[in-house]
Amino acid sequence: MDWGWVSDHLDLVGHYTGRNAYLGLIAVAFGFLVSLPLGLLCARYRWLYAPISALATALYAIPSLAFFVVLLDFTGLQDRTIIIPLTLYTLSVLVPAVVDGLTNVPEHVRQAATAMGFGPLRRLLQVELPLSIPVLIAGLRVATVSSISLVSVGSLLGDSFGGLGYFFTRGYQIDYPTEIWTGVIAVVVLALAADLVLVAVGRLLTPWVRRSPRTVIRRRTARAQARAA
Amino acid sequence: MITFEKVSKRYPDGTVAVDELDLHCETGKVTVLVGTSGSGKTTTMRMINRMVDPTAGRILLDGEDIARRDPVRLRRGMGYVIQQAGLFPHRTVVDNIATVLVLLGARRRAARLQALELMDRVGLDRSMAKRYPYQLSGGQQQRVGVARALASDPPVLLMDEPFSAVDPVVRADLQNELLRLQADLAKTIVFVTHDIDEAIRVGDRVAVFRTGGQLVQVDTPDRLLAAPADDFVAGFLGADRGIRRLAFATTAGLALRTPTVAVLGASAADVLAAAAQAEDRWVLVVDADRRPQGWLQADRLASETQVEKDLVQPLGHVFTPGSDSLRTALDASALSPDGRAAAVDGEGRLLGVASGSDIATAIAADLRQLERGESARHRPGR
Repeated sequence: MDWGWVSDHLDLVGHYTGRNAYLGLIAVAFGFLVSLPLGLLCARYRWLYAPISALATALYAIPSLAFFVVLLDFTGLQDRTIIIPLTLYTLSVLVPAVVDGLTNVPEHVRQAATAMGFGPLRRLLQVELPLSIPVLIAGLRVATVSSISLVSVGSLLGDSFGGLGYFFTRGYQIDYPTEIWTGVIAVVVLALAADLVLVAVGRLLTPWVRRSPRTVIRRRTARAQARAA
Repeated sequence: MITFEKVSKRYPDGTVAVDELDLHCETGKVTVLVGTSGSGKTTTMRMINRMVDPTAGRILLDGEDIARRDPVRLRRGMGYVIQQAGLFPHRTVVDNIATVLVLLGARRRAARLQALELMDRVGLDRSMAKRYPYQLSGGQQQRVGVARALASDPPVLLMDEPFSAVDPVVRADLQNELLRLQADLAKTIVFVTHDIDEAIRVGDRVAVFRTGGQLVQVDTPDRLLAAPADDFVAGFLGADRGIRRLAFATTAGLALRTPTVAVLGASAADVLAAAAQAEDRWVLVVDADRRPQGWLQADRLASETQVEKDLVQPLGHVFTPGSDSLRTALDASALSPDGRAAAVDGEGRLLGVASGSDIATAIAADLRQLERGESARHRPGR
């Protein structure tokens, strides 16, 4: 590992990190936009859930490289050739997340909302979706990490389509491990950073979730000790 | 007034949840729907706010058929309390209570102010306003549920097993709280429960349902206990209904007798003489203000000079004629070492005593009055 090379090429690492983040995250964003209505339909009409989740799984089973290559004929060598497959891959995680989130809303809460005079749309927006946030965030975390790491395969199509994958393909071609490691570490760091952001957003959006009892006990013990001292 | 006219709910698979129900729920009164599971009591209640629509018959709210009302608007005019409270986990206590006010178009600030006042009303400390439901006990959550249902001051309150998920002590508290609120607010309350004791405690009228959605009997709690329509109702009411009914019978007409009384510190010889003259084996010991302290066996005074506190056997408890029920009087008699219950006035001063047979006479008179259908009955001891 040649750290000198890394510090000389920070701008390059920054550029590809940005590309990787953009391609991975935009796919998750589109995936979420598609999954939301699909998940709502599946939660409403349960018979739709089995075929839709089977389709999402089938799409996920298509090897990414094959998917890119097939799409090339239709979309040409552009960002969307990468973004479309990555978007479709997220469905296998995000559709179930939407369905689980909605079905996890306690029945008595749903009933209370209806009985208080919430119409179906208002109930969805003000009660059911907010209560689904913890499950949605869990789904988004898995989808985001996998999407960020999958972007790198795109580098087989061209230098600017694989994000940080650029470094592995090039490192391999010129037999220079430093570039391979730089790419791998940067992907992992990027994925972890995105994951942490999602965890933080989730916490901010759900102050009403009971946090693990252990933290409460720890805090109480700390407070008790502080008082004793 | 909520009126059910020949209302049935039949599901496509043939199950009959409610069968040709005729029922009036009087304005300003608590009507309890009670029955075994599968007796259609919850379905009946849910037809009132159109969470369920009947397959036959109609339901009138103050004379107007609710089938013509928009369900969402209809529901905003009816408070609803559900088991486990059904609070919104993602909203604070104050926002939960303000929910319906906001739905009805109130500004959030005004709604929150009103919600704080409701917290006072149901006995919740305002310091809990910013908490989330998971930070409350079951009883507190249920109070929030009641406050939320009362927020828009709806004339009708629907309560679906509201207190069944809390422990018995908290449940009794919540029931008392509800009765206290109801004394002020006089809502038309429909209350569903499977607990007959709860039904008798909170209901002005109790409707007993049988499996298959049939209404068996509707009556006031004391008439229900005194005269169940059939074996099913009698079985449902359970043991001791004769004694439980006494909670609704007044002690106002109970004849009191004057016992031999010993003031603390009095001369033992004097008391002994008075007891011998009255042929009383026990004397009632009172303090200087004539507040009963306990019973004393007259024989024990032979070896004493003064009436001392440590000779006294405890009373159990006393009753106040007029405000306590015959059940309280009978209980006081059962706990008394000489079988007589001590009656006191509002300040706790002795009025007289009633023996077990005096109470039995009053019970028989009360039953005769009930059979004659005299309706001027109050609910002592609530």
